[in-house]
Amino acid sequence: MFPLKKLIILAVGLFGLTSAKSSTGNSVLVVVEAAQKDDFSIFFDGMRDQGYELTFRGPKEEAPLLIEYDEPKFAHVIVLASDTKNFAKDITPQSLISLTHLKTNLILGLSTKQTPLTSLASEFGLIPPPPGTPLISYFPKREEPSTLIPITPKVQDSAVLQSRNNHPIWFSGSPHALGNNPLLVPILRAPVESFASEVDGGSPDAIVDSADKGGEGFWAGSQLGVVTGFQTLDGARVTWVGGVDVFSDEYIQKQSSKRRGVQSGNRQFAHDVVAWTFQESLVLRIDKVEHHRVNTTEPRDQYTIKDQLEFNAYISKFNPKNRKWEPFSALKDLQLEFTMLDPHIRTSLPAVSGTPGKYSANFRAPDRHGVFKFVVDYKRKGWTALHSSTTVAVVPPRHDGYPRFLSAAWPYYAGAISTSVGFFLFSAFWLAGEVRESWKRPGKASKIE
Amino acid sequence: MAPRAAQIQPTASSAVETLWKAYNDGTPNRLKFIDSFLFFLMLSGIVQFVYCVLVSSFPYNAFLAGFGSTVGQFVLTASLRSQVNPDNKDEFKEVSPERAFADFALGSIVLHFFVYNFLG
Repeated sequence: MFPLKKLIILAVGLFGLTSAKSSTGNSVLVVVEAAQKDDFSIFFDGMRDQGYELTFRGPKEEAPLLIEYDEPKFAHVIVLASDTKNFAKDITPQSLISLTHLKTNLILGLSTKQTPLTSLASEFGLIPPPPGTPLISYFPKREEPSTLIPITPKVQDSAVLQSRNNHPIWFSGSPHALGNNPLLVPILRAPVESFASEVDGGSPDAIVDSADKGGEGFWAGSQLGVVTGFQTLDGARVTWVGGVDVFSDEYIQKQSSKRRGVQSGNRQFAHDVVAWTFQESLVLRIDKVEHHRVNTTEPRDQYTIKDQLEFNAYISKFNPKNRKWEPFSALKDLQLEFTMLDPHIRTSLPAVSGTPGKYSANFRAPDRHGVFKFVVDYKRKGWTALHSSTTVAVVPPRHDGYPRFLSAAWPYYAGAISTSVGFFLFSAFWLAGEVRESWKRPGKASKIE
Repeated sequence: MAPRAAQIQPTASSAVETLWKAYNDGTPNRLKFIDSFLFFLMLSGIVQFVYCVLVSSFPYNAFLAGFGSTVGQFVLTASLRSQVNPDNKDEFKEVSPERAFADFALGSIVLHFFVYNFLG
């Protein structure tokens, strides 16, 4: 099975033009209403150019299935049918969750309507506003309606957006507040002047009620997200899009009414979101780890306390341009822990200059024996979580491993030797004294002395 | 103070003198010889203990071995003394002095074996 897999990878590498740039696969299922399919043609063509194979399916169509015989049929799934209330029976929040366990990446669209995906979003740590409350902003002054907002991403927003230019990203749809889930990766935040409010039939009371729960300003300003990623513990990536129109042909081709000729940034934005979600960008892996005593090369099953140890990790980053894993030395804050329940040692694991991708640390094993683990645990927003754990035993020195004949011990050696010599002399005189009484004199003399 | 001390001193010193004289006169030479060895062991143990407290107990196993050898040897020698004492003849009817010395020698050899093992 394995050589066959390798062969397939090789074949895919040879026919590079048709292969995807993702590190996990190129098959994509797009769930979209047949009527809306043409609205996203530029988005779809862009993905085909990247090498993805798109399969389309209406939200109510029965086939193709998401999961067949417990195997995911597609490497990535996009749900653009964000207004649909009733999906086919295999597209449920539960099946989407099981897809993430099977390492399938998802792009899920939300809208101002209440759909099954809205309640799923709150499971991911997003807090959706009440139904019928889109994002509104009256700034900057423009001809477009107040619900169609140009958003210029800020530098600090996210590492996910690769190219930063000042082209506005046109957005209309529902924002969401972000919970405190550490797995959330904010990609695009709402502008500071924007807020969520009712226009299309929502009730003003509902937004007041929910704002009361969250506090003043809960549904306003830049702490709202409009496009937010989520990286599961299994490594799958999920992106929640507040309004799928951000990918539409209309917004991609849109020019600002105020400043003619300013292209919209939506095309690049869609590309970046797809690149991140489908495991093209910010994808890392640990190729191998090694550990050994300083000045040796062979790893050992067990080390002695207070040994000087060296630990090396080799880390690669996926390069989507040539679909290769390349050594990556740019991590500045990698740490190594030497743990037995608690980290006994936590030290920085810096990159070794001259050897790409190699990170190395030297440390002295603690004066404590037990079963220890070398742990590398690197979790940063947007990046693949790196985790490596290697178990070794740390033992006390062997019975002959201790230093001997210490100069500090000579007083005690002398004490023990003098006792033995005294015993020997005592026995000799005693036995001699059996024969001649006069032998006892020297013993008496020594006592007086 | 001086007069009172002068008054007590003669009686105290005479008691010690009497004790010393009685020991010298009434103790067989053989037991005196044992006592001298016991005295040496006691001195050696005290010196090691004081050295450990004042200077260093660093190779602690060495201290334990050295100090333990003096204590163990002291105990064995004291038992030998009580067994060969003519005054205790009634207590140890079945133990002859030769048998007592053989026990003492065997015990000491075993003790020194452990001591040198532990000395490091």
